[in-house]
Amino acid sequence: MEITLVQGLLLSLLAFICSLDQQAEVFLIFRPIVVCFFSGIILGDVQLGLSAGAVAELAYLGLLTIGGTVPPNPLIAGIMTVVISYTSGVSAEAALGLSLPFALLGQWIGMILSTVYSGLMPIADRICERGDVAALGRLVILSAIGKSLVTAVIIFLSAYLIQEPITALVEKFPEWLIHGFRVAGNLLPGVGLALLLKVMLKIDNVAYLFIGFLIATYIEMGNVLPIAILAVCITFLSYINSRDQKAYDGGVDDDGI
Amino acid sequence: MMTVSRNKLTKKDITNMGWLSMVLQFGFNYERMQAMGFCYTMAPYFKKIYGDNTEEVAAAMTNNIDFFNTEMHMATFLNGLILSLEEAGEDRELIRNIKNGLFGPLAGLGDAIFWFTLLPISAAIAVSLNRQNSILGPIVFMVIHFFGAISRIPLGHLGYNLGTNAIDLIRENAASITKAAGVLGVMVVGALIPSYIDFSFPETFVIFDVVPVQGIFDTVLPNILPLGFVLFLYYLVSKKNVNAVKLIFGIIVVSIILSYFGIM
Repeated sequence: MEITLVQGLLLSLLAFICSLDQQAEVFLIFRPIVVCFFSGIILGDVQLGLSAGAVAELAYLGLLTIGGTVPPNPLIAGIMTVVISYTSGVSAEAALGLSLPFALLGQWIGMILSTVYSGLMPIADRICERGDVAALGRLVILSAIGKSLVTAVIIFLSAYLIQEPITALVEKFPEWLIHGFRVAGNLLPGVGLALLLKVMLKIDNVAYLFIGFLIATYIEMGNVLPIAILAVCITFLSYINSRDQKAYDGGVDDDGI
Repeated sequence: MMTVSRNKLTKKDITNMGWLSMVLQFGFNYERMQAMGFCYTMAPYFKKIYGDNTEEVAAAMTNNIDFFNTEMHMATFLNGLILSLEEAGEDRELIRNIKNGLFGPLAGLGDAIFWFTLLPISAAIAVSLNRQNSILGPIVFMVIHFFGAISRIPLGHLGYNLGTNAIDLIRENAASITKAAGVLGVMVVGALIPSYIDFSFPETFVIFDVVPVQGIFDTVLPNILPLGFVLFLYYLVSKKNVNAVKLIFGIIVVSIILSYFGIM
């Protein structure tokens, strides 16, 4: 079945709202199980929305944003699974597979935006130096709206205007360019860590940087909690040592030697 | 230290801060990740604490715009803790060290609760309802995660109260705590280097036709490239005062070029 202009606009409005939540990861209405349901309502086929939601949610359940890496976009995958099944009449399972190019496109654009948004940080720094609370608020909100608008446009183009050319485009996209942004995304947190070290690193504690690094390199662990506990233990021991040392020195003084 | 007049934050302020903390990941970027949203969550309350003293507001904001990345609910907890310390006039270096030392470990805790437990379980329930063709599936999912979302508000209060109650303890031992928090922060940053930065050459990049370049580095010390990379960037930003924007765009351009030639 054909998608009407109104349906296309409503789908992109849905994408806009859910994309705000996808960035914030607060209410989880960007998950396929929810967006498929609402896409089904917009297209007048709630049944399809429910079955597509079940299929897509299970497929994307293993894919979470962890440590700054972005999986194929579950929001775009959810909407496009319903749209493709609705327009072409294929099953939800088959439509999920066909939605992958769109989810990948969403992932790439998300990566590129998160890379480019690094360029906003100096602006944020200047705003903080002025103590301008309202300006920081504007920057935060506008940057979120920017990402959401991009998602809304992708959905409008994909669902209503040019579904087939987009699939073809994704298949022809130069791999090296996408890979280049992935490489940059893997390296850029280094700038943030270097800026942290700029304020934290002192000659007294430089050894601990290497201790933390070596432990994390040689011992596989799910998170850095063990390292944090170890750091607390080390500082506690050195506190006790310095206290005992003081008591010992004090004792010597008391004896009048 | 010069004393500044401070206004008290009310319970309602902390609740509102909890709602505002939902913007944490707006403006997310690879350089400092959640820094912008984290700082903005607290900024209106810095303003309430210091009133018209823009200099102090600016100093508090600048203190919280560093690299930051944690699980979202745990960020609200830290927001509460930092606001209580800021309100009590604690040393900013201490605040900064506590924040930098805690965000990594708290991320592990929050991920385990919300993303590895609540999400899969709620999704499994919702999917089974969907399969019975019941619209309860998405509705139950949304209700569960509405409560998941607002659970950050009590977490914000928890952080604030913890800071308020521990303030005397913190003040008496300020020197040791500052030092301890510094060790904690630096050690955690060291541990984050291998997990946050992936700097490696593909196996197809070889010298003398057969020797993979990455293998040479791995033999010396695994992750030596990420470590060297961070130390090099540290040298550039702190000793050479290189502007972060230049660094970011430099990294992007070099990454794309290396990718084009198949070196990375």
